Amino acid sequence: MRQIKRKSYSKITTDSTSEIDYKDLEILGEYISETGKIVPSRITGASAKAQRQLATAIKRARFLALLPYCDSHRD
Amino acid sequence: MRHYEIVFLVHPDQSAQVQAMIDRYREIIKAASGTIHRLEDWGRRQLAFPINKVHKAHYVLLNVECTKETLDEIENGFRFNDAVLRYLTLSRKQAITEPSSLARKGGEPVSPKTTVESQPKIEVVDDSDKSPDQTETSSESTETASDSTEE
Repeated sequence: MRQIKRKSYSKITTDSTSEIDYKDLEILGEYISETGKIVPSRITGASAKAQRQLATAIKRARFLALLPYCDSHRD
Repeated sequence: MRHYEIVFLVHPDQSAQVQAMIDRYREIIKAASGTIHRLEDWGRRQLAFPINKVHKAHYVLLNVECTKETLDEIENGFRFNDAVLRYLTLSRKQAITEPSSLARKGGEPVSPKTTVESQPKIEVVDDSDKSPDQTETSSESTETASDSTEE
C-alpha cells in the first residue's frame, strides 16, 4: 500500500519585493526539523522560490550560530 | 557606494569593548563619507552551538552604505581583532532602516550602563552631512537620487 504523504501548504508567500530574512528565526524555525535539517519543500509545500530563499536564509543563520547545524553539537 | 549588511559576533568577555568598536567603525565609515542606516546591538545571546568553546556572544548588526574599500578596511579590522568570533557581510539592494525581528526580541542586558533598558538598544543612525532631508524619508527614492549625484 502506498504511503500517504502529508502535505501542508506553506504560509510563506514570496513576492518580488520581500525576501526571506535570515534574522527571522520564527519563520525559519518552522522549516527545520527536530534535528536541525532543512525540511524538503515536498513536505512543507513551500514554493520553489521560497525554498531557495529559505535554504539561503537558514544557512546564513547557521553560520551566525542563530540556528544549529544539527542536534548533537559537541560542547 | 553600495549597501552592505554586516553582522559580527564579539567574545562575551570583550563585551565592554563593543561600544568602542562601533565608534571606531563609525569613524571609518564617516571618514569615507559613507552612511550608517541601521545600527542594532542585540546584546549577549546564547549561541546555537559553541564557537571556539564559547557559548555566548555579543551580536551587532550594521547596515551601511559605503565603498568596497571601506568595507575591506572594516573586514580587515574584524580579521585581526581577536575579540571578533565571526562576521558576516552581505550586499543589499537598498538601505534597510526598520528594526529587525531579532532586535525586537533581544538578548540579555550586557553592562550596568545598559541594564536600565530592558530592550536592546536600537538606534537608527544617519550621519550623512550632505543631505539632512534624507534622514526620515523612505530609503529607496532618496538613495537612488544621492547615488546619481555622487557618481
